Amino acid sequence: MNITMRIGIIGLSIFFILIITHILKKGRIPIKYALVWYAAGIVTLLTGVMPDLIGYIAHFLKFEVMSNMIIIILIFILIFISIILTIIVAGQTTKIRLLIQEVSLLKEKINKVKK
Amino acid sequence: MKNKILIIIPAYNEEENILDTYNSIEKYNKKYKTNYDVIVINDGSKDQTSNICHENNIPVIDLVHNLGIGGAVQTGYKYAYEYQYDIAIQFDGDGQHNVEFIKDLIEPLINKEVDMTIGSRFIEKSKEGFKSTRTRYVGITIIALFIKLFSRRKIKDTTSGFRACNQKVIKYFCRNYPPEYPEPVSSFELLRNGYKILEIPVSMNERKGGESSINNAFKKIYYMINVVLSIFVVWLRGENK
Repeated sequence: MNITMRIGIIGLSIFFILIITHILKKGRIPIKYALVWYAAGIVTLLTGVMPDLIGYIAHFLKFEVMSNMIIIILIFILIFISIILTIIVAGQTTKIRLLIQEVSLLKEKINKVKK
Repeated sequence: MKNKILIIIPAYNEEENILDTYNSIEKYNKKYKTNYDVIVINDGSKDQTSNICHENNIPVIDLVHNLGIGGAVQTGYKYAYEYQYDIAIQFDGDGQHNVEFIKDLIEPLINKEVDMTIGSRFIEKSKEGFKSTRTRYVGITIIALFIKLFSRRKIKDTTSGFRACNQKVIKYFCRNYPPEYPEPVSSFELLRNGYKILEIPVSMNERKGGESSINNAFKKIYYMINVVLSIFVVWLRGENK
């Protein structure tokens, strides 16, 4: 891997990690969700910092080229994040449904009392 | 002791039918000296459903946002539970169901023979009247087959929304009621948890206004896949503690 490519990867990874930190600082996402994104950032950062080590691991795991391994790892992280997001959305849908039901039942009760 | 009976009418954009439906129940109450209470669950209708209910003093719960049929009906069961009704009846607001059959539906519940009854179009003694379209009948039968396969019990009219249940089931439905494809899935859930279900022959009318929500081939297949998968998942889950 040539030096320009390494600098590019390192730069982008640091930028990505900084963005996540910024969002965290603003309180827009809780730490537990940020952790997976940090994991994704760190994987790419390591590729830029220690290509030899990553290359060695890739070779050891019988990947043809190093980038294949990186892409597979990142794809798995993304799939994992998607599943977590589906679970969160489903949980929130249930909570919203319960809230709508309870609020509507309460409103009906209040209307009855008013009459 | 007299049983407290509630008729739950889920309604989404039913301005054409809701008043007729309510009046048919009131007329029935007067004629047979029965005392069926009604609660309309207005599922965020965009038409005049809510206004019609309020103007005519029809008891109504206006959901603050559209929930879909499952969430709406569950609200009705929660209402039934809160006001300690002995029997809750699910009754469509679109004029498909006939109030005359309610007494047949609740009789086995009053006699404590079963936990839920389903008004069925397809069992032998079913009277004349609107059955279903052919494709729909095929779908209903396939679902029936899967229910039989996983529960070893027979329900023929799996998608009938004309049902009555006792207090035990009301309580169960308050906790667990499938928000999507509620009729076949909830019936199967009850069977899976050891509740007794009985089908009662009824005749239904063709819907007066509006259109079925499952109206094209893709939606039909999608519906079938979802229902069959849901039944499978409920089966996997085993009995609810």
